[in-house]
Amino acid sequence: MSNPAQPVKEGEIWAVGGGKGGTGKSFFTSSSGTQLAKKGRRVVLVDMDIGGANLHSFFGISRPQKSLTSFFEAGTKLSDLAVATDLPNMSLITGDIHSISSDAIKFGQKLRLFRQIMKLNVQNVVIDLGAGSHANTLDTFLIADKMIVVLVPEVIAIENMYHFVKNTLFRKVKSTLKDYGFKEIVQHIWDRRQSYGIKNLKDLVDYLKASFSYIGTILDSELANFKIHLVVNMARSNQDILLGASIKSVLTKFLGVTVLYSGYVEYNDVVWKAVRERKPFMLNYTATGCARQVETIVDNIMHGREVNVPGGYS
Amino acid sequence: MTDEDVKRWQTILEVGPAASVQDIKNSYLRLRRLYGGGSIVLEPLEDEFPEKRRMKILVDLEEAYTRLLEMYRSRASMDRTAGQAADAIAAGEGPDAAGPGTPYPIEEMVYSGPALQRARERQNIDLVEISKLLKLRTELLKALEEERYEMLPEEIYLKTHLKNIAACLRLKPAKVVEDYLGRFREWKRTR
Repeated sequence: MSNPAQPVKEGEIWAVGGGKGGTGKSFFTSSSGTQLAKKGRRVVLVDMDIGGANLHSFFGISRPQKSLTSFFEAGTKLSDLAVATDLPNMSLITGDIHSISSDAIKFGQKLRLFRQIMKLNVQNVVIDLGAGSHANTLDTFLIADKMIVVLVPEVIAIENMYHFVKNTLFRKVKSTLKDYGFKEIVQHIWDRRQSYGIKNLKDLVDYLKASFSYIGTILDSELANFKIHLVVNMARSNQDILLGASIKSVLTKFLGVTVLYSGYVEYNDVVWKAVRERKPFMLNYTATGCARQVETIVDNIMHGREVNVPGGYS
Repeated sequence: MTDEDVKRWQTILEVGPAASVQDIKNSYLRLRRLYGGGSIVLEPLEDEFPEKRRMKILVDLEEAYTRLLEMYRSRASMDRTAGQAADAIAAGEGPDAAGPGTPYPIEEMVYSGPALQRARERQNIDLVEISKLLKLRTELLKALEEERYEMLPEEIYLKTHLKNIAACLRLKPAKVVEDYLGRFREWKRTR
């Protein structure tokens, strides 16, 4: 099941998304960030959940005075924005943005933000993307070194996740081919997909490859880096755990993308309790199964490995 | 059979090169259930994942599973002692896996209910597993094995169930149907 371990890159961006709200993206961002920091890495967490920014609550931090708004609107220096956490090597940039909508932040501005973060001598940036499949969100997801999708075992979450991954992939294909003057053609074919006998994105990619041979090489090399790290949260049974393996199977066959099933976090009231008590989970509940599962997931994501799924079938 | 074939079957069954017979079986059952329809993982993509494609996946799965297990069996029978044979059967390789000299019958003479139960138990398959796979109540499956005929449905339905059960247990469906229905009819006649 596990792949040969990949070396850990310095200055890695992790982005946590997945479409549906309430699947535990902020929980996973805060926990995985804490875990990385516990391993000695210098970490900055960025809350990009515009309108629903709540990452600070996971650390028991009150709503900070300065948020990304000041960075985007008033040109505040990033080092002044970062809020300290209980761990000296981890800070938090909050996205409590009242004055601007998510559309208002241009992607270029975001890029500037991440570049500046990297200059802070940071080893890991973990971005909480928030819900939804807005173009701006997808672009942020696409610049990450590790694209992480958090999911709960229920049909709406699965549906939204597919939507999110499909849109991300379509955006990736379009932006890849844009540089070669193919952007319009891709959209044109997709809009008339029925007459081309194209049912899904994989068909589209296959069609493009077959029609324009040199596109194949470009897409193959670009999409080889398109890897989704899948996390199943709030698993209540063996079946829920195995769901991750099934989703991996479907996404591979359906979209032709690489999916690594990084692991699962079992359902436990203790997580909810930690949030309510405003206590960082990974610092206060280290003995729980959930904490150990987060540790496993973080290791797996770092090294490009997968979780071992138990026997049985979902 | 080439190494590439084996690799292809392993990919289809989504198992690694070091997978045990049990791993292969688990993965096969999971994937069969997933692509057999009605899974919440596949449901949202129904429009984009055409029936034909799903069927093709199921056919490939069957082939990969059959061929891979055949390979394991022929490997095992080459250097197997009686003790290993028993282990292999316990691990779920199937009733006819042990090769010559096995203390287990290779093929049942008549597929009665208890014979089906024996075939199932030899492969370490739980009733619940079959129940999930075929979407049949475990009570019904139990009644079938125990030949409590009054609990069983009409012959036409029973025939379908038997065929599917035979497929799950990797037995010859025609023989299972013929044997079992023969006994069922006999009971009906004398009732």
